Amino acid sequence: MNFRARSANGASPETPLALERPAPEFSVIVDGTPVAGHAASLRPGVWSFVLEDGRQIEVSLEPHRDGTLRAWFGSAVLAFELVDELSALAQAGGGRGRSKKGNVVPAAMPGRVLRIAVAPGDTVTSGQPLLVLEAMKMENEVKSPRDGTVDSVAVAAGQVVSAGDVLVKLRPES
Amino acid sequence: MSETRLLIANRGEIATRIIRACRDLGITPVAVYSETDRMSLHVRLADYAVPIGPAPARESYLVPQKILDAAKRTGATLVHPGYGFLAENAAFAQAVIDAGLTWVGPSPASISAMGSKTASRARMLAAGVPVVPGMTTPAKDAEEIAAFGDANGFPLLLKAAAGGGGKGMRVVRSRDEVPAAFARAQSEAKSYFADAAVYAEHFVENPRHIEVQVLGDATGKVLALGERECSLQRRHQKVLEECPSAAVTPDLRRRMEEVAVAAAKAVNYVSAGTVEFLLAKDGRFFFLEMNTRIQVEHPVTEAVYGVDLVTEMIRIAMGEPMSIVARPEPRGHALQCRIYAEDAANNFAPSPGKIHRLRRPQGPGIRVDSGIEEGDVVPLDYDPMVAKFVVWGTDRDEAIRRALRALGEARVEGIETSIPFFLALLQDPDVLANRVSTQFLDGWAYRPAAPTPLQRDASFAAAALDAASRATAARPEPARAGGSAWRTARPTFGVRE
Repeated sequence: MNFRARSANGASPETPLALERPAPEFSVIVDGTPVAGHAASLRPGVWSFVLEDGRQIEVSLEPHRDGTLRAWFGSAVLAFELVDELSALAQAGGGRGRSKKGNVVPAAMPGRVLRIAVAPGDTVTSGQPLLVLEAMKMENEVKSPRDGTVDSVAVAAGQVVSAGDVLVKLRPES
Repeated sequence: MSETRLLIANRGEIATRIIRACRDLGITPVAVYSETDRMSLHVRLADYAVPIGPAPARESYLVPQKILDAAKRTGATLVHPGYGFLAENAAFAQAVIDAGLTWVGPSPASISAMGSKTASRARMLAAGVPVVPGMTTPAKDAEEIAAFGDANGFPLLLKAAAGGGGKGMRVVRSRDEVPAAFARAQSEAKSYFADAAVYAEHFVENPRHIEVQVLGDATGKVLALGERECSLQRRHQKVLEECPSAAVTPDLRRRMEEVAVAAAKAVNYVSAGTVEFLLAKDGRFFFLEMNTRIQVEHPVTEAVYGVDLVTEMIRIAMGEPMSIVARPEPRGHALQCRIYAEDAANNFAPSPGKIHRLRRPQGPGIRVDSGIEEGDVVPLDYDPMVAKFVVWGTDRDEAIRRALRALGEARVEGIETSIPFFLALLQDPDVLANRVSTQFLDGWAYRPAAPTPLQRDASFAAAALDAASRATAARPEPARAGGSAWRTARPTFGVRE
């Protein structure tokens, strides 16, 4: 199976991965170099590798709300996305490109809607506060990502929202 | 009733801390909980638990009558407020006493006396406690301010007599700057507050926050149990605390302890409390305020002085004398890292959610006080502090190495925490050398470190192995659309809510 690892911030080039042998006696070719040894999994996402040279490393992959994986090693963090080459091809055939981004304003974090500062039909400018979310005794202003007109407000004051929930919709730019 | 019950009017880690103190004393702990906290650890560790209303604290943990009703219902005769919520509320303390219950804390009069900044300052001056030198009447002219600077030292802070909120304040670094600064401060004061009156106080530049733990009992005895260094603060919240302070000499410690005891005695203090000081670069120290409750950072003092402050508080509240005759000698060095559910790499955004994996650090010198365990949901309704790592070593260097060990060993998945932040902070050369002040973290930017090639390769290999085992398990199903092998498999791990 072939994959590509894509760093979350897009800073480094994609890394090709080829799975040669699955766990436990695994081998994965990372960017042309084999990484091989014994792999044991506590549960999905939590692995211990004993590599052929005897080095042991524990890896915990944590799904992040933006769809990437995070691995923490003390103060070092690696954030990346694993792309399956077969599914990537299938998707490419079916038309791609991100849709209508910028028309919806999602919640970046879970919270409770404290105040709503806009109403449908209001003209807003980029950076203008739309509403205030409260989480853990902190108030966070949610700002408009661009100039535009408010189409609808999807939440009410007092409502609890999850990360990614749509808060406000803007009218599509003409 | 032979059994004594103590109600804990709090939640989270401090509630579990007080429950443990109850167990150590043979007292039955009673928890209260909001709707959100039904399954919180403090409820599951208690012998009795009483619901007190909806999630918002102002409708549950902050409602005195609900706490009193809960005590009545369970037969609790003692009430411990912890910190925050109703802990420094003199009216609540009085209501507890009026209900015939025992308040585990200082008297309402002591709480009130220290509750007002201006009243406590006057009271401390009268007791001979040093406060930041300041003029008590508005300056008549620039020369009066210059003379005050000569007598008390520059820099000075000019303040509007009618002011507040930081408006109209101006730092003056030398005598030469006084005339121009005085004129500007007067005109600013006039435009902000319609009153040109200006006075000066000594400006303590880049101070350290040093506080002294005190313990008083009903016999009138007050002991000081050394100091804590809490200079590392962010948004006026303490982040890392140490005991002892590497900046405090034995002579300075003795003087600060004497002053702290005088401050406590001035308000007839009974219970555990903390006298906070600003320590200037020149070695002078000034009273800031007194916290009339148990503090978040009390465990570092416990680690170094071998005194259980929470059980002492309960004993003292029950009318017993404190269990120690004199202050024990300090032993070693302790650090406390406050672990918050927040994303330091994303402007410290709050990160409530479900904890999918939790590995607590263990081993010599490590104590973890927390209100969470694996599977718990950290609610968005309360303070983001989820745990405290308290680390002890024979000296500061060993304590820091052990803290790095503990932080490196810990795993918390499902929410972001400040563990990576502490790992970076405790490797900073200025922090290691204790070259810090209360302003230090304002100018300190957290940056996650870059992973090593081994860490990178192993992470990629782990992701590929996960994807392969999922593909094997899910073979009968047709491949789903979507570029990320991860996305299709997310339900395996659970999604943070």
